[in-house]
Amino acid sequence: MDSLLHLCGVVFDVVLAPLGHDRPEFDMLAWPVIAGVVALLVYKRVSNQKGIARAKNRIQVHLLEVVLYRDDLFAVLVATAKALGQNFLYLAYNIVPMLVMFAPITLVLVQLVAHYAYRPLEPGEPVLVQVELADSARSRAREIQLELPDGVTLDAPPVRTTDGRAAYRVVATEGDHVLRFTLGGEVQDKALAVGGENRKVPVLRGHGLDAVLYPGERALPSDSAFQTIKVSWEERGLGPFPSGEAGILVWFFVFSLAAGFLLKDRFGVTL
Amino acid sequence: MFAYIGPGAGFAFAGSLLVLVAAFALALGTILLWPISFAWKTIKVGNPFKNASARRVVVIGCDGMDPGMTARLLQQGKLPNLRKLMDKGAFRPLDTSNPSMSPVAWSTFATGVDPSRHGIFDFITRDPCTCAPMLSSTDIGQAKRVVNIGKYIVPLEKPKIRLLQKSQHFWKLLGEKHIFSIIQRVPITFPPVPFRGLLLSGMCVPDLRGSQGTFSFFSTRNDDGVPAFTGGEQTILRPKGNTIRSRIVGPDNGMVKGGGRMTLPFTLTIADDKKSVRLQVDGADPIDLFPQVYSPWITLSFSAGLGVEVKGIARFYVVSIEPHVNLYMTPIHIDPENPAMPISHPEVYAVYLAKKLGPYATLGLAEDTWALNERVIDEKAFFAQAMDICDEREGMLWDALEHVREGLVTTVFDTTDRVSHMFYRYLDPTHPANRDKPTEGELRDAIERVYIHMDGVIGKVMAKLGDDPRSVLMVISDHGFTNFRRGVNLNTWLKQEGYLHLKDDAELSGDWFEKVDWSRTRAFSLGLTGMFINRKGRERSGIVAEGEEYRALVREIKGKLEALEDPETGARAIRRVEIAMAAFDGPYRIDAPDLLIGYEGGYRNSWECATGSVTRTVFCDNTKSWSGDHCVDPTIVPGILFSSRPLVTEHPKLVDIPFTIMRLFGQAPPKYMQGGMILAEGAQDAPVKGFFDLRRLEQSGCAPGALAVLDEVSHGVA
Repeated sequence: MDSLLHLCGVVFDVVLAPLGHDRPEFDMLAWPVIAGVVALLVYKRVSNQKGIARAKNRIQVHLLEVVLYRDDLFAVLVATAKALGQNFLYLAYNIVPMLVMFAPITLVLVQLVAHYAYRPLEPGEPVLVQVELADSARSRAREIQLELPDGVTLDAPPVRTTDGRAAYRVVATEGDHVLRFTLGGEVQDKALAVGGENRKVPVLRGHGLDAVLYPGERALPSDSAFQTIKVSWEERGLGPFPSGEAGILVWFFVFSLAAGFLLKDRFGVTL
Repeated sequence: MFAYIGPGAGFAFAGSLLVLVAAFALALGTILLWPISFAWKTIKVGNPFKNASARRVVVIGCDGMDPGMTARLLQQGKLPNLRKLMDKGAFRPLDTSNPSMSPVAWSTFATGVDPSRHGIFDFITRDPCTCAPMLSSTDIGQAKRVVNIGKYIVPLEKPKIRLLQKSQHFWKLLGEKHIFSIIQRVPITFPPVPFRGLLLSGMCVPDLRGSQGTFSFFSTRNDDGVPAFTGGEQTILRPKGNTIRSRIVGPDNGMVKGGGRMTLPFTLTIADDKKSVRLQVDGADPIDLFPQVYSPWITLSFSAGLGVEVKGIARFYVVSIEPHVNLYMTPIHIDPENPAMPISHPEVYAVYLAKKLGPYATLGLAEDTWALNERVIDEKAFFAQAMDICDEREGMLWDALEHVREGLVTTVFDTTDRVSHMFYRYLDPTHPANRDKPTEGELRDAIERVYIHMDGVIGKVMAKLGDDPRSVLMVISDHGFTNFRRGVNLNTWLKQEGYLHLKDDAELSGDWFEKVDWSRTRAFSLGLTGMFINRKGRERSGIVAEGEEYRALVREIKGKLEALEDPETGARAIRRVEIAMAAFDGPYRIDAPDLLIGYEGGYRNSWECATGSVTRTVFCDNTKSWSGDHCVDPTIVPGILFSSRPLVTEHPKLVDIPFTIMRLFGQAPPKYMQGGMILAEGAQDAPVKGFFDLRRLEQSGCAPGALAVLDEVSHGVA
């Protein structure tokens, strides 16, 4: 799994940011459209198009019934209930294509977030690095050791909690540094990007779903005492586009949706 | 996390959310407004059904259903449901309007007044300025406010479409009293007039090209030089191997200066085994067509430019594949799901019906009688088309009955009329139309089959209404039917008698008075029963002065016409000629044809006369499939009335129906309405029940075939 994710990351490192990380326009415009088109093709292939068309048609019929027979309260209530019933059927028809599209779309989105949501630190800018231990090592937060590379210093004494968390406030000089955490015999690294041009900044190292959602570094081993190691990067501005993790998600969601709706007739898809 | 689900969920989410919001907003709005609306209704009209003797009235219109034919089939036990209805209430001939034709009669039904008050005397009338023909019911204009952008003309408003029918529909009056109505396909309701209820327009709705129905015929047979069909358009197909490319001709492109007609490319691919062709219309899914089988309705999208599309629907019918590919396409109907013109009130009603029931025929004269007249399609194809349209109408009726628990439902079925027109020849073995056509075959009883089918429809309506004493069912027709053996060209007669003159002393004239010399012409005939006097002050080139000159002329022509004999049979062709100014007293009699020709059974204005031509002879045989008609003296062709309640008169009239319906709902009909109450409101005032004395029909002088039928009937039904 880790290798697959890593390979995926390598591929996206090649295809993303063709204009450089300071020019997000291409990725922010092209990828939602590509995703919308792929979604349409998948939708056409795996969904019950006739069923969806039928359900949509019925919904429209019942909504029109509400308009046409508005003086008849009983008819309005019956038509509303029927419209809602058909709406549930419509949602049910969407489950299969939704499941099929979930994985590829997620892969694209997390890469966009990794490349564009955050900026590297300014030299001398303090940042919080948080460590969360796995359940099996919750009580050992005091044993975590942080080895600071040259150019990185602690800005404040570390804070450790009894529920297995530790936080370090660090400052660094320009460069790509590696923070090394040790617990017992296990050693794990976390990248720290400082200064220079915008580039991919890995937010979090974890395993399982975290490894999928936060690409950029090798996943933690599944038996690691560390649950996650996270750097609280600052969000970066993206010019005319909404910024940050939420901004990119919303933009992608809306723009891919719009592309899908605009192109659905051309692809002969009923949504 | 959920946001990562992306557009897949987005499509569903956006769609569903929209539905949820719309449904809740609509329902909430309706529920919140309902008490206000109810209170307003109560304050304004109280309980609209307070004095009603019926809460629901259902009128099934069977256009052209003839009392003689109905009586015969009743006697033979072939109409069990109508028999049941008759036994419960009554069956009587229903006196029709004068002239006895659908636009006139249904206008009388809709308004409760005669033609001199609703202004409709025929399908067409003449423009008094030019004597050119114009639809008597509708004026379709252009949008006046436009913006010119390069070659484009962008309208800023909808084209003006005006209903020329005068007076007002009785369902509008019911609506004002908060009595809801659904009116489906009643003729002369285009454009629809807003009222409290739903209406789907009927006869006179044009096709997408603006005509009253132009079919298309595509053929690989090269008939260059052969005149085009009447009522249709022929395109010669030029195959390349098994592939044929051609174009469907659509409506005028009003958005482009000098744009001409919009066209839509299509490809026909003949299957290797020559047993089917694949039709690929631009923008539509391909469909395999098999000989003698109709395609479903296919949406035709014509691009007008600037992203504007005009949509119509049509059905295709492969007449043959070998030796020649012959493909018939119905007229392009206005697409009810995307209507290019308003064909319903409210406009979404047509859309609703299309979404619920599927695409349906919207053209006023939906059954393509001209295609059969011209033998582009055969009787089997015509009959199948007519019955399909009947089925569509049935679906609409069931939907209406499902929704109206209190109020009025009126649905008009045209199939009875169209099939009677086109298959009447089978009732008369000596009919001239039989000369070049088979007189035997599976459709020789087509008229009977349609009557039986309609009886089945009535049976289903009765089952849906149950024994509800508050529901009244009426089955009516606007007129009956008689033979049409001989055509009479009154323009030729007028010329022979010196009332009509042609320029340069020409002997003949083409359509629409092509060579008529208006400076010398005193009278002319246009349409199916009307003769106009070229009156000074009314017609632009009028030469007949009002007063004694006018009166003397109409009397003179009336006298001569009533004595007119068919030289071939020696029989009188015309039973009675009505002088409009004497027969009517309404405000629009001035626009009426001055003389209304009441033909004897078997005669009618010839096809050429109807279009303003002058031919060599006054009389000619009618050899077209259109072999039955009703544009004769109205006493010959009464309609029918079946009612679930007994009557109070032996002689109900069509004009009584709206009056009666208003009374059934406890509403006082307005004083201008000319009818009376004909249904019993209590058992004590119901002397007229069951069947009627058939001698009434014998006196009407029907066609020989029908008379034989009556002989048979008069010894049977009692």
